[in-house]
Amino acid sequence: MQQVRTGNLTMNRLRGRVKAWLSKPANIILLVFLVTLTALTLYPLLSMLVETVTIHTGREARASKLAAGTLSLYHFERLFATSENQYSWIQFYEPFLNTLLVSLSSSVIAILFGGVVAFLVTRTNLKYKKFVSAVFTFPYIMPAWTLALFWETFFKNVNIGLKTSNGIMASVFGVYAPEWFVYGAFPIALVLGLHYAPFAYILIGGILRNMDANLEEAATILKTSRPRIIWKITLPIVKPAMLSTFLLVFASSMSAYSVPVFLGSPVRYYVLSTKMKSLMDSYPGQAYIIVGVMILFGVGILLLNQKVTNSRKQFTTVTGKSGQISKINLGKANRPVAILLVIILLMVAVVPLVTFALESVIIKAGDYSLSNMTLDFWIGTALDKRLDQGDSTGILLNPKVWNALIFSLSLAVTCAIVAGTCGILVGYGVAKRRGSRLASWVNSLSFFPYLMPALAFGAIYLAMSSQIPWLRGFLLLALVGSVKYLPFASRSGVNAMLQLSGEIEEAAVITGVPWWKRMVRVIFPIQKSSFLSGYLLPMVSCMRELSLFVLLVPTSNTILTTMLMQYSEKGWAQFGNAINLLIIIVVLLVNFTVNKLTGASIDKGVGG
Amino acid sequence: MPEIILNNVAKRFGKFVAVDNLNLHIESNSFITLLGPSGCGKTTTLRMIAGLETPTEGSISIDDKVVFDADRGINLPPNKRDVGFLFQNYALWPHMTVYQNIAFGLENLKWKKQDIRDRVSELLKMLRIEPFEKRYPAELSGGQQQRVAIARTLAPGPKVLFMDEPLSNLDAKLRMEMRTELKRLHRDTDSTFVYVTHDQLEAMTLSTNVCIMENGVLQQFAPPLVMYNNPANLFVADFMGNPTMNFIDGHLGVDGRLTFGGMTAMFGHSGEYLGERDVVVGIRPEYIHVGEGDLKATVYSTLPSGMETTVKLDVKGTSLTAVVFGDLDYAVDSEVSFSFHKAAVLFDKADGKNIAKGQLLSPAMGG
Amino acid sequence: MKKLLSLVLAAMLVLCCIPALADVAADVEAGQAMTHDELVEKALAESGTFVVYGNTSRIATAAEAFAALYGIPTEANNLKDQEIYTKLRNETGAGAASMVMIQDGAQLTDAIDEGLVINFVPASVKDKLDEKDQQPALVHQYINKLFIYNNLGDDVPAIRNVWELTDPAMKDRVIFKNPESEKVNMNFLVMCTKPEWSDKLAAAYEAWKGEPIDLGEYQNAGYKWIAEFLDNVTFGKSDTTIAEEVSQETAAGKIGLFVLSKLRSSSVLTDNLTVAQYDATAEGYEVNPFSGFMYPMYTMVNTKASRPYTGMLFIEYLMSQEGFQPWGKSIGAYSPNAEIAVNEGDLTIDVWKATTVMEDADYILENFEVEDFILLHCQK
Repeated sequence: MQQVRTGNLTMNRLRGRVKAWLSKPANIILLVFLVTLTALTLYPLLSMLVETVTIHTGREARASKLAAGTLSLYHFERLFATSENQYSWIQFYEPFLNTLLVSLSSSVIAILFGGVVAFLVTRTNLKYKKFVSAVFTFPYIMPAWTLALFWETFFKNVNIGLKTSNGIMASVFGVYAPEWFVYGAFPIALVLGLHYAPFAYILIGGILRNMDANLEEAATILKTSRPRIIWKITLPIVKPAMLSTFLLVFASSMSAYSVPVFLGSPVRYYVLSTKMKSLMDSYPGQAYIIVGVMILFGVGILLLNQKVTNSRKQFTTVTGKSGQISKINLGKANRPVAILLVIILLMVAVVPLVTFALESVIIKAGDYSLSNMTLDFWIGTALDKRLDQGDSTGILLNPKVWNALIFSLSLAVTCAIVAGTCGILVGYGVAKRRGSRLASWVNSLSFFPYLMPALAFGAIYLAMSSQIPWLRGFLLLALVGSVKYLPFASRSGVNAMLQLSGEIEEAAVITGVPWWKRMVRVIFPIQKSSFLSGYLLPMVSCMRELSLFVLLVPTSNTILTTMLMQYSEKGWAQFGNAINLLIIIVVLLVNFTVNKLTGASIDKGVGG
Repeated sequence: MPEIILNNVAKRFGKFVAVDNLNLHIESNSFITLLGPSGCGKTTTLRMIAGLETPTEGSISIDDKVVFDADRGINLPPNKRDVGFLFQNYALWPHMTVYQNIAFGLENLKWKKQDIRDRVSELLKMLRIEPFEKRYPAELSGGQQQRVAIARTLAPGPKVLFMDEPLSNLDAKLRMEMRTELKRLHRDTDSTFVYVTHDQLEAMTLSTNVCIMENGVLQQFAPPLVMYNNPANLFVADFMGNPTMNFIDGHLGVDGRLTFGGMTAMFGHSGEYLGERDVVVGIRPEYIHVGEGDLKATVYSTLPSGMETTVKLDVKGTSLTAVVFGDLDYAVDSEVSFSFHKAAVLFDKADGKNIAKGQLLSPAMGG
Repeated sequence: MKKLLSLVLAAMLVLCCIPALADVAADVEAGQAMTHDELVEKALAESGTFVVYGNTSRIATAAEAFAALYGIPTEANNLKDQEIYTKLRNETGAGAASMVMIQDGAQLTDAIDEGLVINFVPASVKDKLDEKDQQPALVHQYINKLFIYNNLGDDVPAIRNVWELTDPAMKDRVIFKNPESEKVNMNFLVMCTKPEWSDKLAAAYEAWKGEPIDLGEYQNAGYKWIAEFLDNVTFGKSDTTIAEEVSQETAAGKIGLFVLSKLRSSSVLTDNLTVAQYDATAEGYEVNPFSGFMYPMYTMVNTKASRPYTGMLFIEYLMSQEGFQPWGKSIGAYSPNAEIAVNEGDLTIDVWKATTVMEDADYILENFEVEDFILLHCQK
């Protein structure tokens, strides 16, 4: 009798606890995301690991003299320890060192450039601030390789690379750039650094903007010199943001594929991602090992980042209470600095656009005279008869282009809605249960897709989808895009939720407002602009994504980027440039519209 | 007429014990203060009663209705407990006007439009914030925001009102004013108030009963004046009262003679025989009368405030704080006489517990 | 945690009903014996979207014409060969292609062994083709990459012997696509080491230098040529850009190895280019021992085809005079079907077969380690 009662008691207690746990929406959200994200990120990772020890049919089986399907460490041995023909050095070690060099330099460039500009904009009385902050995110909106393409076409000359033709710099200004400046490690790091500098600008700028001015003022009172204040007070405070930028830029640069191809291959400069791509053709096992190495590096930096930011947490306390921040007066240096900055930004953000526009209207490459120009590639008809190349109509009259544009846009919007909404939910769950193991698991899982190289991510999903008959076409693309860009949304979601005091929601809980209504009527409206930015970033990234989708699109003219690639492959440069410009214009338009309507912008997305 | 009963309530976060084995009986219509230093578990206790936090153990009932019972697996959500909660940072919704902030909860309870209108007007009037109806929280001063928060909390007419340090963000003058209003509000609304604060003065002045906690453990639950005059232990004695009670290490002899701080006295009390032991003698500053009696001390420093003067005395190396009423002042380093009046409390030196309250009889120097 | 994972996996398994594979192999076997009308009838009876992949852009034009002819909507997809292989391996169901046009004989041999694709030879062309062009895979066309040089300036690299390209004076004047990025290029270089070609290269060396070749540490003349050739090469991104770049007025003295068909591009300044072989032929010589290389483009039926008969009908169409039209209208593409004449100005397929290096899938597959040697010389 007694035993039965105790039994009931424990049952009741357990039931009560489970009920209490489940009554909190944050717990359910975290649980659901733990399960789905495990399936969507850890499963691909595991299946990838299996690939690294599996002998595949074809060349792998032939070369290893093992039956296809055998589990073996052959790939590791071949990639890491084959001295014949310097195989390992050529395929792994040298590209690995190059990757490290390029990724490190691009991170440093991004942090320096983005950080300095962020400092100038938030802490000094710099002129033309509006223009600077408006244009600074352009390089991120443009696909990275367009900047690489621009760099090459602008600086190439007959002394370097293919040594066949002169770009604008040489033909118009007579300046012949040296080879190291146009091809190889330097331009790759620079282009990637410029492309990702907006991350530094956004993250570091966010901290600088909200930083308690008292911290600096206290030092000023103690008669510390300006440079010393920056060095001893400001820099340590933005250090966590710099580390976050480092993580983001390093991981992205490491998996960047097209920039090293454009700027590296003419001088035989190879990095891991280019090796990964070419190995994927015949030796997928080795390719997946390279992917694994990249992911390991990303995870390593992530852990380092977490460790450093945790122990430095006291620095990041942002009160926002302080009133006016004293801005540094640049004095006589103001105008020259501002003009220099504007020129740099024009070079990296505006001139490429003009170049694309120009290249889309000239008939014969390299001839920029008015007689060689036509709008046919935009609005012409019956082109195939007249030009013997390309589609029969200009891109604006081509229904295929319009279909692709609509498909691309609906894909980007879908991914943005799914990723953005999930990001808010993850943010809600993680912030509510912060400190719990479940929350930190979900937080890490939701960041994980960022560390997976897009190309490999797409390949793994293609393999996964072959098991699931209904996962096809739009659905598959939307799923992959949403998962891949969840990190952006979840980051902004977590940040936005952490800024919101728990009492705001509890005040509604007390009066019995149901959970969904609290989200829709209370939480979302308050952090609207942050959340919307969490939608915007996946949308922008999706619009210009290629590697992730290239294996998954049903047909090559399904989305604009694969269409663009197809046109470039065929050598229809004008069509390619026109579509490229179209993508950028659409993204800019969406960005500005959302910004004007809601006040949200990409800047707030990655959020301090 | 709700009363609140907590039975063996405990809350653990992993290994950390926030609240341990708490038993409380809060009578209807009372104004209870949960008092203690930060991190003592008072806010956790409040949030557990409100249902914002789930206890690990025990049971809670409000108005004879069990709202939580770990053993029976009962756990009512906050909105089923018929309670109001006033947050430390007001938690006003920045995107809603004052009117919307107050009305939002009522809309949610499916009140009729006109009823909501009437109720909000009533509250706006009661809290004297009618002119701000259409404003947003950011456009209000701290005090005004506080009133809006109170109005929002009162709107559905909760039987129990919880307040988590609601006055800590206000300046001293406003805080004083709001205290009076809260006390009035308690009378007018006829409901039970549970109030969390770390300010002993607030607890003293507002509540009918104070519950003082340290490290998650209840130290004493009593009306404020009882607690002031007969604190259960050193912690409570130290926490209540400003300036704080004087604590002097001493020894109680077999014969009831007390030796402390270079003085001796007989300890007279009505309780059982205490035996010989080491004690701490607790004397409230206002029970040390300066300028009369046989005891001698040197003035170490004075803090005159007009209505009263706090005098720091040095008795052969032992420091004593005394409060003298009126606008008196003493020259520093001058010698003064003093005497003990009214009660002193003896605490056990070993565990700090109150062992007896009594009188210091015929005190003398030396010993 | 573990429980959850297994739950998810179980759920996924339930959702992944493995689609019943239609026995495409049997269909193909039946199809080989069918007349054109029977094929049409079978194809029209099939339902669902008809999808085709090809690593030639003109497949889209052919698909449009095919769709118009039979009223079967056709989705044509231009992909790189590797992407096609990846898709063949992973795609199933209605979205997957029913037939593919694909290059790289070495990989195709593996794909056939792996059971990814099946060879189909339409009855209509069976008698018109060489056996070699029918088995193990049906060749739709041959494509040639030739040495083509810029004819401007004083130092025109009008080569008559491929060893001229290894001369130190040619350093950085030869442009080729990175063999790592397109397998047919790799295949060509591997073929140079096959005794058949290394012997010819050795002879050509002697003809060029007037003395027998000194192999040094190289295994044969093919290796030596690859090493010294690659040492002078700069890598271009694609055949299109190589053609465009070599044709520039500023590119005097440069020579490229790229597909002849690029000479049709309007972005290429064709007047500035001369094909080494044409030039040599005009003077009564040939480029010694080869003027470039030639590789087949195959048509195959996907083993997982959802519309196998439509796929076969499309292959039959592509092999016809009309179906070859999108490629046949300009130079650089050659049907194995002798009845389909080459373009005016182009040389016949027999000439090209005799003067270019052709893929031998078996040799390439057996000598994969040559690729490591080539990679070594793709380094700086």
